[in-house]
Amino acid sequence: MLAITVVFSAWAQVQDSTQTYKKRVLENTEVDMLMSLYSQDGDHSAVGGGVGTENLQDITPTIVVSIPLNDDDVLTIDVGISAYTSASSSNINPFNNTGASRGGDDEHEEEDDDNHFTGTSNGQPTGTPWLASSGASRSDVLVSGHVDYSHSSDDRNFIWGTNVSLSNEYDYTSFGFGGNVTRLFNDKNTELGLKGMVYLDTWRPIYPTELHEYNLYGNDFLSKGYFEGVDVINQSGTVSTDYLPSGFNAISKRARNSYSASFFLSQILSKRLQAAIFFDVVRQEGLLSTPYHRIYFADKNNYYIGDAGCIPVYTSPQNKGVYQLADDIERLPSSRMKLPIGARLNYYLNETFVLRTYYRYYTDDWGLKAHTVNVDLPIRLSQRFSITPSYRYYTQNAVKYYAPYETHLSTEQYYTSDPDLAKFNSNQYSVALNYNDLFNDFHISKLLLKSANLRYSHYDRSDGLKANIVSVGFKFIIQ
Amino acid sequence: MKMNFKTMKKLVPLLFLLFLLASCGTVKEYEKVYISDPDMKLAAYQNERFETNFQVYREGAAGANGGKTGGGCGCN
Repeated sequence: MLAITVVFSAWAQVQDSTQTYKKRVLENTEVDMLMSLYSQDGDHSAVGGGVGTENLQDITPTIVVSIPLNDDDVLTIDVGISAYTSASSSNINPFNNTGASRGGDDEHEEEDDDNHFTGTSNGQPTGTPWLASSGASRSDVLVSGHVDYSHSSDDRNFIWGTNVSLSNEYDYTSFGFGGNVTRLFNDKNTELGLKGMVYLDTWRPIYPTELHEYNLYGNDFLSKGYFEGVDVINQSGTVSTDYLPSGFNAISKRARNSYSASFFLSQILSKRLQAAIFFDVVRQEGLLSTPYHRIYFADKNNYYIGDAGCIPVYTSPQNKGVYQLADDIERLPSSRMKLPIGARLNYYLNETFVLRTYYRYYTDDWGLKAHTVNVDLPIRLSQRFSITPSYRYYTQNAVKYYAPYETHLSTEQYYTSDPDLAKFNSNQYSVALNYNDLFNDFHISKLLLKSANLRYSHYDRSDGLKANIVSVGFKFIIQ
Repeated sequence: MKMNFKTMKKLVPLLFLLFLLASCGTVKEYEKVYISDPDMKLAAYQNERFETNFQVYREGAAGANGGKTGGGCGCN
């Protein structure tokens, strides 16, 4: 009897020790304050049918708050604003005066600044794909929010989560939701995860001005509305009434839905080496083209509004005053299947260096194939400071519906001159400075600083697009 | 830069299979000092999220990085 009692009490103690101790998934509420400044420029604007400035600036402040609801559950709220100005999208309406409101001055030209042209030519409106117009589409604000909930089992070997997201800008609204499960086993050496995501998005199409007016007024649109009293000129610079984009049809189906299933497997390979593989299956349906990307057909005559003297130099930045009227907008299939597969391999070299590597192969049924290679080398300078140089190489071929400016034929079913879908490769060079406040020395009221980082990247694309981005982040914990 | 992607495409899956098969033993919790280092995390750094966003817009490929796979924006 005594022996049974001893055994039973010992077993009960073992049970108590495993049942009572459970490390919280997240000890304290964490607040991440992030900000990025992005700037780019290039010469192949999709709004200009593959010609024109791609100048764009964007500022994105973001805040992420992770709240431990209890020992097992975490709620994460992510809210961001992206405010951008874009010379390219300003040229959805590239004309700075309407026919009805044009001035009567002779040869009146003025420039607000080097990047913004408000010209007229003999009282006629002008435009150019090489400078921003003063159109309403020049700037916009994207607001986005994401809420994520996760629950971990008592032994922390099983995690499930769910999320919902919402974003909105002037011409696009997105609603998304999804779920995920993660299983750890083999003494948490192996991790297997599955994630599903659905986005139900809606376009509110904005068309290039000339096509918008044609859709509104029909065949005699050049004598009404925006183009009333405006001279349309042909390739020779002679006034013509022959411009008629009869191939253009307004978009009736405006939904864009995306469905994705993601799988990942990670494995600790040794005390210093671990790897992961990621695989997604993505299907998109609906309006997959961009409604304001112009197309110019090689088998159609060219028509312009503006200064005829600029027609010979139309495709160069010397063009200060003429804009070519579109034959149609970009048309792409209403479905797309994407299959990216990626892998990470990280190796802890020593107390100073860690090697992080990433590779991705991508293919889809639009004919795009791409490779991505990324290498990071965090260097520990001290207990608090580290610096991380990084390099990323990317290469893709063109989708089968791509052709440059003035190359597509009107007999084709699908066509785009978007340089983002063309053949190119890119190099990205980055450096990040990281600071870990080990003892939370710095604080603002109850916000204790945990870490801070500053990152700069330069992006170079083989077609001439260049971009720079600076991002800064602060992680606080709430005591 | 010129890279032999055809060869890499064939080798990478094989290398990973070999790595996974080679891991017969397990690393105990008390031996995970190096594995638990923040820089060893098998995910992009948080401050890379803005770059991932512009890459989704400026490139045709997306996904397989634990983040955005497609949708949620008027991008490719």
